[in-house]
Order: sequence, then structure tokens, then C-alpha cells
Amino acid sequence: MIALIQAELYLIFRQKRTYYGLAAIFIIELFIIAGSWYQGNEVISVLLENLTRSFYLEGNLLNGHLVLYLVLNSLWFNLPLIIMIIVSGFLTNDYKDRTIQTIMLQSIKKIDYILTKYVVAIVFTLLVLVFLMATASLMAYTIFGNGDLITYLNGLNFFESNQALSRIGLAFLSGTILMLFYSITSVTLAIIFKEITITWIACILFLILSNLLLKIDFGIMGDWFFPKLIDTWQYFFYYNIPWSKIYFNHIVLMAYIILFTTGGILLFIKRDIG
Amino acid sequence: MKSLMLILIVSLISFHVSSQEIDSDLLTIKERMDNVIEARAAAKLELDVDFINMPVKNFDLYFQKSKPISYSSDHFIIIPKRGLDFTWNELFKHQFMTIYRGTEIHEGSTLKVLNVIPLDKKADYAIMTLKLDTIKNQIRIADITTKNEGSYLLFLNYENDNILPSKLTVQFELERIRIPLNFMGKDTEIDKEKLKNKEIKKGIIFLYLTWQEVLTN
Repeated sequence: MIALIQAELYLIFRQKRTYYGLAAIFIIELFIIAGSWYQGNEVISVLLENLTRSFYLEGNLLNGHLVLYLVLNSLWFNLPLIIMIIVSGFLTNDYKDRTIQTIMLQSIKKIDYILTKYVVAIVFTLLVLVFLMATASLMAYTIFGNGDLITYLNGLNFFESNQALSRIGLAFLSGTILMLFYSITSVTLAIIFKEITITWIACILFLILSNLLLKIDFGIMGDWFFPKLIDTWQYFFYYNIPWSKIYFNHIVLMAYIILFTTGGILLFIKRDIG
Repeated sequence: MKSLMLILIVSLISFHVSSQEIDSDLLTIKERMDNVIEARAAAKLELDVDFINMPVKNFDLYFQKSKPISYSSDHFIIIPKRGLDFTWNELFKHQFMTIYRGTEIHEGSTLKVLNVIPLDKKADYAIMTLKLDTIKNQIRIADITTKNEGSYLLFLNYENDNILPSKLTVQFELERIRIPLNFMGKDTEIDKEKLKNKEIKKGIIFLYLTWQEVLTN
């Protein structure tokens, strides 16, 4: 199976569409940083307009931390779409090119083949996130420098630079679990629909519904419903971090990842190839 | 004859008022304050406002006679405008009169209570109640009503008989900032009208000062 994963990764990084995808992510990132700079100015001007009546404010608030925080806000909405499109292509392209039938003619087990797809989806997503966070951090801190982070969640929160950095790091890790969830889901959707365009539409629909349902109150059930888990990373920017809620949300999200992976594998094994 | 009498009465009244305009103990405090030319302190600020969450801030504070107090820090600092004028620059800048209101006991000390009324329209405050420790010549409590920025209550603690305080507690009023939840979120629009909502909230500041250099006459 390791050989299969290596071969699959080799193929992915030889394909032009992978680099088109990475380039698209990078371009989006550039736009987000430019937008964050603009939005950051607006955020600070609105906040300070109120505060300067009563307070002297000394220091730089439009800094790398604020830009990264705004990048995270935009990223966790835009990034899943690109990841889902690229990752679902790992399987739908095999269906389209009929390479799946060629592979299955060799002595490769169906479970090994589909597990490889899931593992490669995870590895690819992690690599994308590392690339993204490294470039975003580099640009944000080089251009905007360091300073305290200001957020408005349950009040106006100020975090000193080292605190801000650790919270951004934790939020990024939380977002990584979320991206893995979307990535895994896209492979499962590819197993269900097989066809490229239909899978893309299903992925887009899944994302839109997740974001729409986030705002609807489902009572106690809402705690277990996956759309309610997609903004868990924001909890790291509350002044007092609600750790129990964060642990709970991540455990539930991991359970969804396992559930969707198991469901996808069982469906793939059960179905005929072709 | 009548007009001569009137002039005499008016002169007597104005002499009486002017002779009571400024309390002598307050003038003594002013003289002590005037002797401080320059001072530098390490400051620690704690802010207790229900919608502002801020860690304890440390910064340097620099005072120079007749100039506004300046602050410096490596970090972002948020310092209230009102209540930190412990050099009483604003008070002594404009002409004023004082009215004696008796005494009261505070933390075991007998304090002299004065009302301070500005005689200059340019003064920022409308009325001030000062409570003085006349033995140590220190202002211990100030209840200040400003013309445009509400009122605030200031408690000052000193090390021994120093003229510069080592701790200030300021209770003040603050307009509540109204910002939609998830303000910086992906789909939240900024509603500036909502932000201008004028709900008044109370806040408390604790400022601890460790004076490092005090240059006097």
C-alpha cells in the first residue's frame, strides 16, 4: 500500500492541474491579504472611532496578526472549495480515464486502492495547508510586522503578540481538521457520484449548505450537526478560550471524518467498478 | 449718596468672594505640584470594562511640568483620557474658585471637602469635588463632572507624603461599543449606525505607578 501511496503522490505532483490548483490558492491568498489590509483598516477605523473618544491608543493594530486572523476568516470559506475540487479529481479522473479498471486488473485490492485515495487526500490537504500558512505568514509578518491582535467576539479582545501567535497557530490546527473533513468528504462524494462535474456540483452544494445551516438554530442537536462545527477555530479568539467546547467539537468532527471515510470505503467495495 | 452706598456694598461683596476664591490647602498642594519639574514612572494598568478584555498593560510614563503626560510601550496600550490627570494640569490651568463643604473620614484620615467651580469658560470640567488630606497635603478623592464627557470618580493613594500618587482608581462612564458578533467574519457587514448607539457603561481603571525619577525644584 505504501508503494501505491508513493505512486499516487508522484502522479499528483506530476500533474499540471495540481499546480494550477496551488496557483489558484496562492492567487486567492494574495487577494485575501490585499482585502484583509483594506478590511483591517476599516475594522480599526470603526473600532477606534468609538474608542478614541475615551482612550489614548498607542501602538500598531494593523499588523501581521490581524491580517492572518482575517486571512483565516476568508480562507476557511474559500479554501475548502478548491481542495474539494482538486481532491475529488483524484478519483473522478480515474473513472473518467478508465485507469481504475486497469488498476483493478492488476493484483491490487479494492480496499487498498480506495484507502490510498483517502491517505493521499489527507497528505495533499496537509501539504496545501503548510504551503498556504507558510506563504501567508511570510507575507503578513514581512509586510505588516508584529503587534497586538484585536478581535471582537463576546467583547473587544486584546491579545499581546506572543498570545496572538499561539492562538493563530491553534486556530490554524483547528482549521486543518476542518479542511481534512472537507477533503475526506470530497473523496466520499467522488465515490458516490463518480462523474467529475456532478461531484463538483455535489461538493459546492455541500459547502453552501454547510455555511447556510451554520446560521440556523437546531437546539441541542446543533452541537452534533457538522455545519455547527465549521467555525470552531473562532473559539481560539475569545478572551477566555472555551476548551471543553473546542474538545467536543473536534472529537465530533473527527467522528464525522471516520464515519464518512468508512461509509465511502464500504460503498466503494460494495460497488462494481465501471 | 445712594450710588456711593451701592458701590461700597458691591466692593465689600467682591472683596469677600475674592478672599474665599481658592482654598489655602489646595494652594499648598498646587505649590508642591509646581515644584515637580520632571518625573518618570513604570506604570501598570488594569482595565475593568465589561466589553473590553485586555491583559494587564505595562508601560513607561513621563511627566514634564506644564505638558501633557506621555506614555511609551513596546506593546499596544489603551489608556483612558479621563481621570489620569493626577498632576492636576487641567484644574490649575484655568481660574477657579473653591467652596468649603466640611470634612469627612476616609480610610481613617480626615479629609477636607471642597467644591471647585471654574471661572474660565475654557475649562473642560463643570464642577469638581475634591477631598484633601490637609496633613500630608495630598488630593485623595476627586469627583469630576466634565462639560462634554460625563463624570468620573478618582481615588488616589500615595506612598507616605509623596505628591505623586502610587495608585489611581478611576471610575468612569463609557459609551458601549456596538459591533455585530463575528464582526470580522466572512460575511458580516459593518453597521456604523449601530456602532453609534449611546448606551452608557461604567468602567474602572487601576493604575499602579512606581516612580523612578522625580526631579523637583
